[in-house]
Amino acid sequence: MQQNLLEHKPTRKELQDLRNKRTGLFIFQLSWILVFVCLVIVNWQLRSSSASWPPAGVQPISPVLPTVATVMLLASAWLVRSAAQAMKADEISAFIGRWWGAIGLGIVFVILMAYEWAAIPYSQVYSDVFRMMTGFHVVHAVAIGLFMYRVGRSAQVGLYHSANFWPVEGAAGLWYFVVVAWLLFYVVLYLV
Amino acid sequence: MASITAPTIGEGKVQPQAPSLRIQDYLRWTVDHKIIGVQYIATALFFFVIGGLLAMMIRWELLTPTLDVMQTGEQYNTLFSLHGTVMIFLWIIPVMAGFGNFLVPLQLGAKDMAFPWLNAFAFWIIPPAGLLMLAGWLVGPPEAGWTSYPPLSTLYSADGQTLWALSLHLLGISSILGAINFIVTILNMRPEGMGFWQMPLFCWAILATSIIVVMATPFLAGALTLLILDRVAGTSFFNAAGGGDVLLWQNIFWFYSHPAVYIMVLPGMGMLSEVLSVHSRKPIFGYRAIALSSMAIALVGFTVWAHHMFTSLTPELRIPFMITSLIIAVPTGIKVFSWLGTIWMGKIHFTSAMLFALGFLSMFVIGGISGVMLASVPVDIHVHDTYFVVSHLHFVLYGGSVFAIFAGIYHWWPKITGRMLDERLGKIHFWITYVSFFFTFFPQHILGMQGMPRRVAVYDPQFQTLNVVVSVAGFALGLATFVLLANMVSSLYSGKRAGANPWNALTLEWATTSPPPAYNFVGDPAPFADPYGYGTRESKEYLETLDKRFPPPVDDSLALTPNPQGTGD
Repeated sequence: MQQNLLEHKPTRKELQDLRNKRTGLFIFQLSWILVFVCLVIVNWQLRSSSASWPPAGVQPISPVLPTVATVMLLASAWLVRSAAQAMKADEISAFIGRWWGAIGLGIVFVILMAYEWAAIPYSQVYSDVFRMMTGFHVVHAVAIGLFMYRVGRSAQVGLYHSANFWPVEGAAGLWYFVVVAWLLFYVVLYLV
Repeated sequence: MASITAPTIGEGKVQPQAPSLRIQDYLRWTVDHKIIGVQYIATALFFFVIGGLLAMMIRWELLTPTLDVMQTGEQYNTLFSLHGTVMIFLWIIPVMAGFGNFLVPLQLGAKDMAFPWLNAFAFWIIPPAGLLMLAGWLVGPPEAGWTSYPPLSTLYSADGQTLWALSLHLLGISSILGAINFIVTILNMRPEGMGFWQMPLFCWAILATSIIVVMATPFLAGALTLLILDRVAGTSFFNAAGGGDVLLWQNIFWFYSHPAVYIMVLPGMGMLSEVLSVHSRKPIFGYRAIALSSMAIALVGFTVWAHHMFTSLTPELRIPFMITSLIIAVPTGIKVFSWLGTIWMGKIHFTSAMLFALGFLSMFVIGGISGVMLASVPVDIHVHDTYFVVSHLHFVLYGGSVFAIFAGIYHWWPKITGRMLDERLGKIHFWITYVSFFFTFFPQHILGMQGMPRRVAVYDPQFQTLNVVVSVAGFALGLATFVLLANMVSSLYSGKRAGANPWNALTLEWATTSPPPAYNFVGDPAPFADPYGYGTRESKEYLETLDKRFPPPVDDSLALTPNPQGTGD
């Protein structure tokens, strides 16, 4: 059965569908990242319309823990990428190890950011915008993480292989999206 | 387009009979793009009637300078808030998406959209989102206008404002999903022999529109997220007392909403290019200019948003935004002159579709000129927040978008249903609409320049005469719509059979039965090389081949058998 599937030559329609999905995912990434760009602009405008940032008497947020979280997220993106490559080479066991590794790093990232979210003291719009941005990002990380979990489970029962890998590629593309979105926020929240 | 040939259309293959669709086929989940298109259009028409009734109540209130129909000014606020939102987000945008859904795959000779399931999903978000919006009436409807500026929308409006924001959020997601589908379909699913420069102009317009949707609507999502948080989570993004900034909303909202006006008008411009060329039997004038000007409008549309904020903007920014706003008249002018060039010396058939297309040309130009006036800072500051603005936006959205939608309905109704609309009723509809539209909205220019503010129920008695003119014409305009609705209903039951190609058009949607069968075509249809090559020998041959494949219907009154497609020998 597996053997037959591997020898399966894609039809014109299957090729067309794959091309459509790739274009569609690309446009989705391009489009939805703009919500994050919009929130970056919101941060800038709030910043520029207040006398000092953070406002007088408010401690700036320490970048130490978020930097650790960011490194983990980048590592998870690298793992996802190599997992997807392993899938296209039919190295299923290598895929599974890397995929769960990536999800594990993602979970650590979410936990660290949840701590940050809860720990920041209330300081009107300064903490509002911090919680809104990190919260908005984590919602996406969790939703896409759950999808990756499902893909991982399906891969464990052998649903995917080098001729049927779109869900893996799609989930990986969405996870890159999470990472890029976070990098935008990381820069604006902690570095500048 | 040197090599114009008359290709074969599924020659040697058995052509299917037009399917007979029943009402219930349109009431359930399906991934057929044609049914989804009709679902969009029908849903939008429902909300058009709701939005129209709200407009009628507004005009009824404004017959007199004092409060009489409404008890309070707040009640009046809810009328125009919901009228604007419903008309924009639940009528014009979805109805355009409906035409796009029905026509784009057919014009590209494709079996369906790129993502049929996603297509259905994007549609089915709309009815619940619309009901969520209307549910505002149960908890206190929004009062802050369709633009919902804070602090009106954060500190003063009732809970319906939260539902308003949630509903818009859903509609925005629906728009983005639909637009992704359009872009992928147009980029990837064109048939062999159809490069970008052989693509029908309607597809170009939908492509430009979809690019705006995917680039602009995320900003609406961002702004609405903040608005909802301010309303329900106690944040203070728009509340200066908590360190927020009220202008933040205006900036993000208009960064979406100005491009959104092109979302509403570009598909209409695409329809116009089709209708004008077909009904004047002439090749389109300036094909590439029209196609590229859509793209130019999409691009420049992103650089003009602050002209909505001339009165609240840093003065140094006024001139740059005035310049970009004036520049956008250039690609629009290119289109208008190309359309005039198209009908110039053409063999014009004054069908209802053509009349509405010509109506668009005249009324949209008036709206465009008042737009140029508003783009100039001194005029804008003088007429800011007056009826001049109301007049301008209705000239472009009703005289533009809605006239184009009407033209589209008359033009493509035969394809969608397999039956013709009654031309006599169509002309009655056109003339009442055209005249009453003018007298509804033109006097508002004068009112605005004399200083009558918009969004008020109580006004200076000196404005009453013109307001009565506007209201009476407005009632006629509202009633005219029912002529169209009646025409549609009677056509479904007893309209003349349409045949595959009643207008002798060259684009691919006419190269199949009316309504088209499931999956649209038998085999891969070969498009005619020049979709607007009317009047050439090759196009005549092509149309004759089409007539042989899909025989025109026998007149119902003469036919002995009820089979409308002829004997099919």
